[in-house]
Amino acid sequence: MIQFEKDIEDSEIRIIGHDLVPVPDGPQPPRKPRRVWRWVIGLALLIVSALIIDLIADRVASRRTQNLYIDEPSYFEPLMESEPLVKVQQIVDHPYDSVFVGYTEIRDTMVNDIPIRIYTPHHAEMTLHLGRINRQDTTIVYVAQAADVRADNGGIVGAFVLRGEPKAWGLSKKGFCASIDGKVTIGVADNSPLFERATERGGDFFRQYPLVDRGTPIFNEPKGKAIRRAICERGGTIFMVETLAKESFYDFAQALADMGVYNAIYLVGSTAYGWAVDHQGIAHEFGEDDCYAGRRRMPKNTSYIVWRRK
Amino acid sequence: MNSPMRQLIFPTSIDLVRIAPERIVYISSDGNYSTLVQADGEVRMLSFQLGQIEKMIADQLGSAGNRFIRIGKSLIINRSYIYYINVPKQKLVLSDVATFSHTMSASKEALKSLKDLMEKEITL
Repeated sequence: MIQFEKDIEDSEIRIIGHDLVPVPDGPQPPRKPRRVWRWVIGLALLIVSALIIDLIADRVASRRTQNLYIDEPSYFEPLMESEPLVKVQQIVDHPYDSVFVGYTEIRDTMVNDIPIRIYTPHHAEMTLHLGRINRQDTTIVYVAQAADVRADNGGIVGAFVLRGEPKAWGLSKKGFCASIDGKVTIGVADNSPLFERATERGGDFFRQYPLVDRGTPIFNEPKGKAIRRAICERGGTIFMVETLAKESFYDFAQALADMGVYNAIYLVGSTAYGWAVDHQGIAHEFGEDDCYAGRRRMPKNTSYIVWRRK
Repeated sequence: MNSPMRQLIFPTSIDLVRIAPERIVYISSDGNYSTLVQADGEVRMLSFQLGQIEKMIADQLGSAGNRFIRIGKSLIINRSYIYYINVPKQKLVLSDVATFSHTMSASKEALKSLKDLMEKEITL
């Protein structure tokens, strides 16, 4: 007979629908004693106890009320009425709704010897945010800095649209990302009609360094190595990527292309702060949240991509 | 006429997941829940323990359930996507060698058994 659940050890494998495949070459691991009988006995005791308590309670209740309700039906009937109520309660208390709860899937992998973390939001929508982010906002499942800020005047680098309102114009970087009517588009172009469409439709738009253009890695000017981040599109899925070691722009872009990314643009890397919330509701922070503590003030035009639960 | 491909169905009291078996890459244990990773990269939480999932697969697919292999307490994999096994490094890679690659770890004993099983397929 095939056993399920705990009747397998970490050292064993089993073809589903078949028996265990024996571990070759070496002693079999010690098996834990089966606890099935303990469960059966425990369950039987519980059922018997519940029946006895139920019987006693009903007899007491019927004695108290029999003088007032002599013609009422037997005490077994109310039990039948309570059944649907239990079912409703079970539905309300169901701990997990696999369809509607937004979260970020976090996975680590290696590409070209570069350790990479992939953040894929599920059941969430992306918008842009300008200014300090509210860390208590429980609707957020992923947040990371989006556009760069000019060192000379604190302005946003490149064109920027926030909920339909243009905040900056310019083309210092050819990569763009737009979020319009719930659809995120990433691409590389000098002029994108999505800037105008974002202003017309109340959408968001920002520019960054292009990393991958239709499957081809792009060479960018900045030198040196740092923690790199990107927002990417592959096969219609939008996800964010972060290197877990300092990498050059070029190696990062090449790794993204080798991952099969079709389009990708940069997100602010290095110590820029952000976080992702996994399916258990646990926030995974990256960067430095105290980067702007003390005398160093956060530029007012610091921008973020924010994925919120739908 | 060919019979339609059997779909796996995981119903709960409030929702239902229906998926072709070949589109499942692996299912991992996540406490009282399980995480189903699909070939299109989507990840779905299932409110069942891994043992319950294993039973559903066996009940619904019968002998066709042998496409899936339970590895230890916390993993069910689709054998079609086994791409790389390294026993000393305890490394298992599931990939379609085109669009996805998932690296995971398992015990040396389990991986040795899996490797032997795959080697046997050569002679079949």
